Amino acid sequence: MITVTDKASAIMAGLKRAYHADAVVAHEGALEVRICAGTACHASGRPAVTAAFKEELATCGLADKVRVVETGCHGFCEQGPIVVLQPKGIFYARVRADDVAKIIAASIEGDGFHEKRLYRDPQSGEPIPYEKDIPFYAGQRRLVLALNGKVDPYSIDDYLSQGGYKALAGVLADNDPEDVIESITASGLRGRGGAGFTTGTKWHLTRLSAGDEKYVICNADEGDPGAFMDRSVLEGNPHVVIEGMIIAAFAIGASEGYVYVRAEYPFAVDRLRHALDQARQRGILGPSVLGSDFAFDVFVNEGAGAFVCGEETALMQSIEGKRGMPRTRPPYPAVSGLWGKPTNINNVETYANVPWILTHGADEFFAMGIDKSRGTKIFSLTGKVANGGLVEVPMGSTLRHVIFTVGGGMLPGREFKAVQLGGPSGGCLPADMLDTPIDYEILTASGAIVGSGGLVVVDDTTCMVDLARFFLQFTQDESCGKCVPCRLGTKRMLETLERICEGEGREGDIALLEELSHYIIDGTLCALGGTAPNPVLTTLKYFRHEVEAHIDEKCCPAGRCKALITYYIDAEACTGCMLCAKKCPTNCITGEKKQPHVIDTAACIKCDTCRQVCNFDAVKVRSGIKADATAEKA
Amino acid sequence: MLGMLKALKTTVRHLPMKKITVQYPEEREQLPERSRGLFRTIIDPASDDPRCRACTLCETNCPVQVIRVNYESKYELPAPNEARIAAVRADLQPKPDLALLGPILDEYRDAGWGMMAVLQHMQEAYGYLPRLALTEIAVQTGTSLSQLYGVVSFYNQFRLSPVGKHIITVCHGTACHVAGAPLITAAFSEELGIEVGKTTKDRLFTLQAVSCVGACALAPVVRVGDDETHGRMTPDKARSLVRDLRKLEGLE
Repeated sequence: MITVTDKASAIMAGLKRAYHADAVVAHEGALEVRICAGTACHASGRPAVTAAFKEELATCGLADKVRVVETGCHGFCEQGPIVVLQPKGIFYARVRADDVAKIIAASIEGDGFHEKRLYRDPQSGEPIPYEKDIPFYAGQRRLVLALNGKVDPYSIDDYLSQGGYKALAGVLADNDPEDVIESITASGLRGRGGAGFTTGTKWHLTRLSAGDEKYVICNADEGDPGAFMDRSVLEGNPHVVIEGMIIAAFAIGASEGYVYVRAEYPFAVDRLRHALDQARQRGILGPSVLGSDFAFDVFVNEGAGAFVCGEETALMQSIEGKRGMPRTRPPYPAVSGLWGKPTNINNVETYANVPWILTHGADEFFAMGIDKSRGTKIFSLTGKVANGGLVEVPMGSTLRHVIFTVGGGMLPGREFKAVQLGGPSGGCLPADMLDTPIDYEILTASGAIVGSGGLVVVDDTTCMVDLARFFLQFTQDESCGKCVPCRLGTKRMLETLERICEGEGREGDIALLEELSHYIIDGTLCALGGTAPNPVLTTLKYFRHEVEAHIDEKCCPAGRCKALITYYIDAEACTGCMLCAKKCPTNCITGEKKQPHVIDTAACIKCDTCRQVCNFDAVKVRSGIKADATAEKA
Repeated sequence: MLGMLKALKTTVRHLPMKKITVQYPEEREQLPERSRGLFRTIIDPASDDPRCRACTLCETNCPVQVIRVNYESKYELPAPNEARIAAVRADLQPKPDLALLGPILDEYRDAGWGMMAVLQHMQEAYGYLPRLALTEIAVQTGTSLSQLYGVVSFYNQFRLSPVGKHIITVCHGTACHVAGAPLITAAFSEELGIEVGKTTKDRLFTLQAVSCVGACALAPVVRVGDDETHGRMTPDKARSLVRDLRKLEGLE
């Protein structure tokens, strides 16, 4: 007879077997060069840097003493490619291949720094050599991203050596699914994909549903433009998501799992597949998970570029090989989901939180955050901010903390105008709302949403009407066309906004936009349509004066809407360097050397090239009836 | 005289009959409360064929599920016409090699691949989805071609025509948009002389827009092919990128 303790010890033995003790693993005290291999750092030249490090270390005879590791995303994408030297924790930013020899000489062989590539404070310009002192990292509380930048995503041993799969082993040894669900409910974890449904309740409902076959799905179809936290978690630490999925599957009694991931994320897909293969080899996935009698396996489904497939019912249609169109709920996926079977579907970040909660306890998770929003949330901070990247902060932190403390404030010389939250389903909040805490309910009341966590900071050069038009264009393109209010309503709204941007806005357009918005919100099945008017509604709420300027004065205050602006050269500032004339694609700039140039506005296509190449800020933009009148007088 | 009498006879004959025409809007038909009119399939007057191809999309999408598609139609679909099939096949340039489908279909049968995976691997093999290959898949998997077409046309990733050697993808995510992505697209479009989504005549370049590649910190971002990513683009850099690629191809 097998007793409970026998089973538990068999599982612990299974966990021990999974770890290859002789493997080389990440270790805080060892000499290591950690190079970020996220998408952004890759694009900024990571492969050349890695190659240079390997080559230089070999020439110095250090190849067997210093380990070069390509880790997942460090989150500080603005400063890529990032290199961190362990054990000292020296942080180098924007490293080029020709810096490598100097870095090795200064910081590995010597005891100093290669000053040129140290991170500098955007305001004071002072170099900050150590990773832990950089405000971007110091202001964060990293649970999900804790191991990002520490482990090699291709090595399961790295993850295991950091305590990985311990939570799973504990769950299997206790063999009490109800208890797992209770812990998750007690932690207050809510869906991180946008809607914020209580995860524990969802698991509980799926567990209660009748059926011998159940599924768990991980939603990694991160379609929101401006959000990349799911990609970074999958790229940096795929095993934490797999562990979360196995625990969820055990809790609800599922036997198969699917990860639906965007095909636009080739690194994430590759690393996830590799991680799954490794987990299978080590007995963590398969007919007997860690030697227990629980069987589970995970498959990868690649998306095909349809935003609406991030909606749960559409996603399941897509896995089934159909057009990804949402359907009416109820029945909810917990009752009838994939292939008509009970299905639990959560976001990447939600699953990634699960192992932490079970290792550290639900209370510790609940201690972070306010009211009904608990734990931490990852935001991808981008736009006109000094330190863009991935930011994980406790719920309840203010937007000001995220943008100004962690994000280091605006780019030099830029003025904060608004922050866009939650992508095409969210909204823009102005400067006086910066002290709003990050909380599902409070943000929804303000008109924006927590959403998947995109935070785009915009400055005075961004036209809010154009931004609203951009989001509507996006939802209009991505609308699946099933519900008429969404398919035609967004089209009509887009046409109205385009007219306003073209300078043909009419009186009553604002009222029309508001009316249409409410019809769309009321008359659509899924969240894509239900939230599509949000960007327009928040723009009308907080930036009404800008919309009115477009309609009444035919003026684009930000100088972005092409039809409403004219380019001119400030005769006093122009030095006559001829650079703009040379670069102009339509040759509409004339002028002699050392004489102020003139733009022929009739031939100008407003491509903005001249303004960008000018070294003296002599190319300017004017807009509106009043501006034109003053220009004529002059 | 005789004609007039004939006309009078017709008029008199119709006088006692019940009137069919309803003088809308003065008079109105009494319709059942929930009547939504009558659905019927349209018959193409030119060929006498029904326009409906039994793709079952209306059946899937009807919110109240009142449509049932009866596959055994009373209309006969046009008989396979040798000349027409030949003409369609001749259009397929270059002619797809159907042998490439072998391993994909094996995986479909053995590993239980979904239709999406099949289509994705097909596109990887051919660079696009040739009609002949789609027909082959339809026959081999027992799906109707129209259903496949419904799936293919739904997703942005699938292409039904060949693409250029260099695929230039401009990211239009929020961060890129704010940083000036529309100007970058305009610059590419002007330099290449094509619109977004089109391929140049020499089959060298395809220009496309994507909603987000997730490299927002480097905005605006442009991707060439699958591996090459260019961050912090300007319209000027975009133009020189195209010129560099053209030089690489030995043009200019």
